[in-house]
Amino acid sequence: MRCSQLRAVRIAAYLVVIALLGGASYLLHHSTVQAQTPSSTQLTVYTPQSYYTVPLLTLNGQAYVGLVELLEPLGTVDARPDGKKYKLKFTSPGARELEFQFQDGKDNGKVKGDKIKLPSIFAIQNNRGYVPLVSVSEVLSRALSTQIRLSLNARRLFIGNIGERFTLDLRKGEPSKLFVSFDSQVNPTIATEPGHIRFTFRREPVISGVDYTAFTDPLITGANFSEHDGVAELDVTGTSALMANFADGGKTIIVTGAPAPPPPPVAQLPIPQPNVPAPTAQPPKAPAGPRFLVLIDPAHGGSEIGSAISPTLPEKDVVLTLARKLQHELQSRGIAAGLLRNGDIAITLDQRAISANAARPAIYVALHAANSGKGVHVFTALLPAESVSARDFLPWETVQTAYLDLSASVAGSVSAELEARKLPNATLAAPLRPMNNIAAPAIAIEIASPSGDVNDIASPAYLDQVAQSIAAGIAAMRGKIPEVRP
Amino acid sequence: MTRPIVVMFLVLLLIAAGLGFYAYHLKAKVAADEQRLAQQSQMVVPPAAGPTTLVTLYVASDEEGGLRRSQINVALPQERSERARAVLRSLLSTYLQPGSTHPIGAGSDVRDVFLLGSDTAVVDTNAGFADSHPSGVLAEELTIASVVSTLNANDPQITRVKILVDGKERDTLAGHADLRRFYLASGIGQVLKDTQ
Repeated sequence: MRCSQLRAVRIAAYLVVIALLGGASYLLHHSTVQAQTPSSTQLTVYTPQSYYTVPLLTLNGQAYVGLVELLEPLGTVDARPDGKKYKLKFTSPGARELEFQFQDGKDNGKVKGDKIKLPSIFAIQNNRGYVPLVSVSEVLSRALSTQIRLSLNARRLFIGNIGERFTLDLRKGEPSKLFVSFDSQVNPTIATEPGHIRFTFRREPVISGVDYTAFTDPLITGANFSEHDGVAELDVTGTSALMANFADGGKTIIVTGAPAPPPPPVAQLPIPQPNVPAPTAQPPKAPAGPRFLVLIDPAHGGSEIGSAISPTLPEKDVVLTLARKLQHELQSRGIAAGLLRNGDIAITLDQRAISANAARPAIYVALHAANSGKGVHVFTALLPAESVSARDFLPWETVQTAYLDLSASVAGSVSAELEARKLPNATLAAPLRPMNNIAAPAIAIEIASPSGDVNDIASPAYLDQVAQSIAAGIAAMRGKIPEVRP
Repeated sequence: MTRPIVVMFLVLLLIAAGLGFYAYHLKAKVAADEQRLAQQSQMVVPPAAGPTTLVTLYVASDEEGGLRRSQINVALPQERSERARAVLRSLLSTYLQPGSTHPIGAGSDVRDVFLLGSDTAVVDTNAGFADSHPSGVLAEELTIASVVSTLNANDPQITRVKILVDGKERDTLAGHADLRRFYLASGIGQVLKDTQ
């Protein structure tokens, strides 16, 4: 071969190698996309009735939100991925069923039969449909006949004409006081550090038309409002340590100077009840009174899906739906109820126990769902019965021992209510974590299909009946279970 | 470019395409093999040789939510821990049969049973036992209860049982039942036998 021919062959060989490397790189990239995991960011959604959080998935550098996770708390959802096509039927209470149609990898779809163009492609991951976060306002406004407002950078979504505004009223004196007034009760988390007191609002749709307000006062110098990571934050600045008190039934926060000695550098003070005064060194006030709080723990979450009820229905989703229904049922009976998990997040068993014990509930209820068996099983902790008191120092593994009698009473009460609604049920002791570590009367509920057909497990009517039974069983125990001081 | 060079280029391109197709085919084949292996029911069979002994099994039933006592003849070794292992393998084989009342994952097996003193057994299961076990409070409790009750029924001296997975302690069996603790035969088994 001539020299020029040899050079040409070499070039051809290089081209082939480049083609091969390109192919390998494509395959690698393809598998990497499959293996992408959800990021830790969340979208906080506010509706006129409640608030909830939805995990965000990052795909190709963009935030995506799951349609099922977004719509499920707003009504009944029936999602059917079919290969690359994705159909979702949604019915909000009192409204007609409407349909969403999208296709994996395409940026156009249909909502209620009308075409919609997404700013980037629709994605299906693990049989779940995801739309770009930036398109959520448009997608929802096509589906819901109400105002939708997305605060994109703050990861906050407002459904309906909602928004909790506040006023700032500085009353000068010795010391000066800043009155932060809201239209309704608020329950922020408070953090203090020298010269700052920060109120973080996660549950309330707090908004403001003004970002920064400056004051000409020797103590309180300004108030800065910001939204980020699904929360709203009001940072009041001062020339010395500040403290807060609640007034007007939790509708007003009064910020003033903290007496010496100054507080520790940083203190996170989650406030369970808005009318509880912040710690103060002034003449001692009556401590917060005991209250009856039911803490609901929807099991699993995040990558830990629990049992696969069906190929498209994980246990984590069923129990979250049931938990929200149970919370509503309890609240409608005048019982305070909180969720340990109100989004698709993973929490370890020990973290669950630690959070539950820190909340000091009157009753702890863990929720599970199974793809085998039938009916509802009510569990108490499987521990040897011993005569111990809640005041005794107990090992972490057997803390529940002191509450076994009360737990059994709650289980019996719930079982009686299930029986009254003709729901097949049984009460058992189980070695279920983290029940052993709970320092309160604790039960776990595991629902299975009422009929033997696993598809019936998520039927709204069935979940409603179960939630009503549990709530009625707990309500019947009120007065027999001691209230707990927060 | 001369004709031989074009031909050579095309041949190399063809080889590249062929290699690409072969790689794709291999990938699909590996995926199919993995799926087939996962679905393959690997039966655990106790040793068949030697004289047989009547063994009591507490077999779980998902439908009834309890344990059912049954007896079968099994050839058992002489050594105590080996006997315990053979009994448990018989129990697991019933769960691996088609139409089982309490199906567990294919390939589930007991690697070893260690006896600590006279009353404590440590059961070392293989990873497949826990990894493919159906997830659920009752389903997991039934498995543990049947293991503990069966061991106690065939060797009444065994009253405490701990379950390991692949030689290691694990938090839960399949997300629910606690595997960090020792189970008392008078505790967990009794709870579920009472439901019969």
